[in-house]
Amino acid sequence: MNDPYSVLGVAPSASDDEVKKAYRELARKYHPDNYHDNPLADLASEKMKEINEAYDTITKTREAGPSYGGGTAYQSQGYQQNYRQSYTGGGSAAYATIRNLINANQLDQAMTMLNGIQNHDAEWNYLMGSICWRRGWMDQAGRYFRTAASMEPGNVEYRNAVQYMNSGGQAYRPAGFAGTSMTSSDACSICNSLICADCCCEMMGGDLIPCC
Amino acid sequence: MYGYVRPDRGELKVRDYETFRGVYCGLCHRLRERYGPLARFAVNYDYTFLAMLLSGPEPADTCARRCPYHPLRRAVKCPAASPAMDLAADHTVILAYWKLRDGAADKPFLPSFVYRLLAALLRGAYVRASERCPGFASTAETELAALSALERDRCPTVDEPADRFARILRAAADGTEDPDRRRILRELLYHLGRIVYILDAADDLSDDLRDGSYNPLRYRFSLQDGRLSPEDEAELRLSLQHSHNRLAAAFGLLPETPYSPILKNTVFLGLPGVTQAVFSGEWKASKRQRKERKDHERSL
Repeated sequence: MNDPYSVLGVAPSASDDEVKKAYRELARKYHPDNYHDNPLADLASEKMKEINEAYDTITKTREAGPSYGGGTAYQSQGYQQNYRQSYTGGGSAAYATIRNLINANQLDQAMTMLNGIQNHDAEWNYLMGSICWRRGWMDQAGRYFRTAASMEPGNVEYRNAVQYMNSGGQAYRPAGFAGTSMTSSDACSICNSLICADCCCEMMGGDLIPCC
Repeated sequence: MYGYVRPDRGELKVRDYETFRGVYCGLCHRLRERYGPLARFAVNYDYTFLAMLLSGPEPADTCARRCPYHPLRRAVKCPAASPAMDLAADHTVILAYWKLRDGAADKPFLPSFVYRLLAALLRGAYVRASERCPGFASTAETELAALSALERDRCPTVDEPADRFARILRAAADGTEDPDRRRILRELLYHLGRIVYILDAADDLSDDLRDGSYNPLRYRFSLQDGRLSPEDEAELRLSLQHSHNRLAAAFGLLPETPYSPILKNTVFLGLPGVTQAVFSGEWKASKRQRKERKDHERSL
């Protein structure tokens, strides 16, 4: 294994607090929420594992005091993709296969199979949206997700996809670069800035939004 | 190429700004050394970014170089020749050549003649560059042909033409040996290409409407007085936000290099700033101002 200090990017002489701060920043960077349905999620998960191990090693060798109890906060299970076959009955076997292909990132094959299906129902639109999303065709993805959700308003999976699209998603911004966005400033970015400010406050020991 | 991918200079540290200038000048010198004096004029910010992105973790050796077009300016510390700089120079020439050819195709007679003349002058450089990067040259040719076909058919989606363009940028990562790094760079460059294409479409919208040229936004969205409606603009920018998130997620997986502060600035301040300027119309206004200033200087 690599030297745990270089994994966290701190000197071996760093104080416990500095180690903890570096760990937290990296954990924030590779957090599963930043790799939502992302083709690179496996690499982010590996990184997270690496920094968790490094942090554990350092805290153990330093025979940490009570402030280190509880070990690492983040586990790598969060990266699992959300195209599990959530569906019992009703759906055809073809849809199950297509979901598996999307999970395996075999998008061309998934697309070919999907194009072979005549009946464009809600699930068809949702899976089309998922393929577009993976490919980076963000505009089409949003349109297919919305169609799916309007055809079957009760489906939580479709509704979540639309909500995620409309929320603008999430990405890590390095310290000092928070609050920049590709959309114009609106109510959403105010919320985001508040949440950011809250995170910063929490890092410094305070709190801005008490409930999170 | 287009110049959308640039750092927010005001937010750079002075030493990082000087490094950035050095890479830009270095790319210009490299273009001359490899492809002759005409190729210099193809130097651009987008490929300066690419040169820095593809550079390794070791600090580059530098050498002081003077600019022949600014003889009074003092010499700039430029990075020495490296595979990343060479690749950026080769790709710049290939894309500049195709851009001239493309310009020749859809312009009226006289400007079209100028474009064809320039393309002919750059032809030799293009042939040499495509011998050095055969994979990239053939990708650029195929994808640009596919893009022209989509334009001819008045493709009604934004994603399809953007995809063709993004594939070209993505191909710049194909020579990367480490498979994980290659995957990361391919993802990053794809989304960067998508953003550049859409920004260019948004910037050109009013001109294209006037000339009757193809613009994907015109067929995808409903327009009001030659502009996107506020709802459509919000929707388009939301889709850019998602592309930017994917770009940022990929960027976060790359190791730190001496260029990281400049790259971070470009990704997290430069791109959002340019996007804001394009949609507010400031970008176009500043382009016009620069042109007017140049015309004025020439007339003096």
